[in-house]
Amino acid sequence: MKVLKECPILIGIVLIGVVLTIVSFIFKDTVYSEYADTVSDGKIPVLSLVLKGARDEVYPWSTPSVEEEALLPAPEEVVEPAAEEQKGTTLIIAGEKQEFQPGQVSANDVSGNDISGNSEPEVYEFTEVDDDYFTDALFIGDSRTVGLSEYCEELDTRATFYSKVSLTIFDVMKKEFIKTDDGKIGVEQALSENQFGKIYIMLGLNEIGTGDTQYFTDAYSEVVNRIRELQPDAIIYIQGIMHVTAKKSDHDKYFNNARINERNAAISELADQKDIFYLDMNESVDDEDGNLDSTLTFDDVHLKASSYERWHQYLLHNAIVK
Amino acid sequence: MVNFSDLNFIFRFLPLFVIAYYVTPTRFRTWTLLLGSLLFYAVGDIRMFPALIVAVLVNFLFAKAQFGEKSKSLLLFILAIDAGMLIEFKILGQFVDSSLLPIGISFYVFKMISYQMDVYWGKIEKDASFLNVAAYFCMFPQIVSGPIMRYEKFLDNPMLFKEDGKAALIEIVGAIEDGLRFFVAGLAMKGLLADHLAMLWKDIGTIGYESISTPLAWLGAVTYSMELYFDFWGYSLMAAGIGVMLGFPFVVNFDQPYGSGSVSEFYRRWHATLGSWFRDYIYIPLGGSRKGEGRTVFNLLVVWLITGFWHGVTPNFIMWGLSLFLIIVLERLIVFKRLPGFLSKIIGKINVLVLIPLTWVVFAISDLNMLGDYFMRLFPFFGQGIAVNDNDFFKNVGVYWSVLVPGLILLIPKVFETWENHRRNPLFTVLWIALFWVCIYSISGAAGNPFMYFRF
Repeated sequence: MKVLKECPILIGIVLIGVVLTIVSFIFKDTVYSEYADTVSDGKIPVLSLVLKGARDEVYPWSTPSVEEEALLPAPEEVVEPAAEEQKGTTLIIAGEKQEFQPGQVSANDVSGNDISGNSEPEVYEFTEVDDDYFTDALFIGDSRTVGLSEYCEELDTRATFYSKVSLTIFDVMKKEFIKTDDGKIGVEQALSENQFGKIYIMLGLNEIGTGDTQYFTDAYSEVVNRIRELQPDAIIYIQGIMHVTAKKSDHDKYFNNARINERNAAISELADQKDIFYLDMNESVDDEDGNLDSTLTFDDVHLKASSYERWHQYLLHNAIVK
Repeated sequence: MVNFSDLNFIFRFLPLFVIAYYVTPTRFRTWTLLLGSLLFYAVGDIRMFPALIVAVLVNFLFAKAQFGEKSKSLLLFILAIDAGMLIEFKILGQFVDSSLLPIGISFYVFKMISYQMDVYWGKIEKDASFLNVAAYFCMFPQIVSGPIMRYEKFLDNPMLFKEDGKAALIEIVGAIEDGLRFFVAGLAMKGLLADHLAMLWKDIGTIGYESISTPLAWLGAVTYSMELYFDFWGYSLMAAGIGVMLGFPFVVNFDQPYGSGSVSEFYRRWHATLGSWFRDYIYIPLGGSRKGEGRTVFNLLVVWLITGFWHGVTPNFIMWGLSLFLIIVLERLIVFKRLPGFLSKIIGKINVLVLIPLTWVVFAISDLNMLGDYFMRLFPFFGQGIAVNDNDFFKNVGVYWSVLVPGLILLIPKVFETWENHRRNPLFTVLWIALFWVCIYSISGAAGNPFMYFRF
């Protein structure tokens, strides 16, 4: 007893550690099944399950069938929920549509088959505009778009930004992150209350390790469709995901430009050249090998403040005017 | 695993080792320490493990020869080997491949040099056994990043060298408990403060130094200074705490440096085991301050150039060492010699609180162009920034206030001292259990999750 009195911290830590380990073991295959692979190879102690879960607000008393938004599926794991039912709502994309090159839209690119209806479809070309073009524009994106808002004054003073660090295509419509006078609201509500002329989206980097390209594209398509419903008159710009540098790309299993290009190719197919267009700003920031130019970034992923101007210029030179 | 804030270290290696250590009879306990330490090192850096083994053997044998008649040439020879090995690996690590720099080499080589000189000077009288010397060089709490403990303190461990048999269980448990207190304090500094301050420092880099506002540039200097402080102080507390768990005396490595009245005092209290190493094994052998003012300045120059090089091979580290040399010489020759007392006190404080953070900026940024950009933003008289967002200071304070404020509070010398003096108080006991689990919660988010740090 005297010995025990001598070491209250040790006892406290050991007891809690034992309890956490037991709880982790018991719920390993149910509540924490999504995390189980992180401990199954023995690389980290089992008790971390409870703590990892708690970070995502998953507790032993949570129901095991947690919604996917709380739990990112493990990288490389193909996740297939709802893939079937999404198909029905996927944008109609003509089978013969060619690879779309921004700035080079010609009559051949958009065939009449793309658009149902009898009227001759109008062909839009990317043209140069001035900054006033952005006064009714909305930008949706992750930290890179946050950076654009912070370091491109011309855009920040004119356009609206619904952007948040670590935002993904999976949670963009679910998270309530837009600050208003009455607290935070989600994109869904914000788009019901405000109308925009142009909506620029750049998402897809944070979730690059999640699911496969099809899964990602389906989710993207769903988001675009929902925005289309809420904003029938807006031009929607799907922006290709910005590249990372060669240094990052060459050594990263997930964050590499091959994956980015694959996903960009897939989401570019969502464009209909009518009121949904695909933009790829990478040409303005890439080096000759198609990687993000390392002089434009400090961390191999984000543009430095002084480099956002390139993105801005690209947008100025690649706009659709109806 | 060689990181003390790694879950595998905390929940696997450390408890198992401590149990094995105390289960082993006192007579063989040093073996447990040596074998455990070798295992620890091998797991961390198996490729460079042979370098450690060879260095231990060579140093043991050379020192053994010195226990009889002392030979200066023999001493110089082994010192050249040790220093040469350190320099060679540092250059290889910098210019060829960073994995060629053996883990902890800067620290274990310094321990070896101190051992050689102590033996030569007759400070270590008894012919030291291979087991003790090897365990001293390799002991896992210190091998990665110090503190650079002296051999005499290694012998000052009742759990290893108790004359009258084995320690009572209550003493063992008491040692573990007290070591744990320091370990948790260090873990919190590292895991809750330093690692988060590091994110702010990285965010500033992401913006690009040419584009930060002047207030943010200064906040960055403070942030990086605190990051380094809590990272290293926290690490040292963890290392010293593990040492205490094993029966070693507590090694003071950081003694409230930011409470110092001058830069020279700062470096007696910052990484104190390194400072006293330089004092005892370089500065004083060169003549210290006993050979006239000119020679003193020269000796200081040597010490600070080597200090700079020891921290890193790139030019900014040499600049860092030289700038500290300059400040210390100015303090010595002018500030504390010719100025009136109150003025020298004020200038000494300014040197610590303003110049030291600026020297850390030099320490932090190895690219000289970027370093130039940073100073341009610190002192905006020389040029304009590019695409500066003037709100960046408040934005970052808004995000990081919860680590900046506790960090600043911990800079006040009394705060830690108060805890240290009352650490057995039940209130702190409860708090420390909670603090430990908060740290583990914070660390576990990143463990096994490659995406934790990749949030864009």
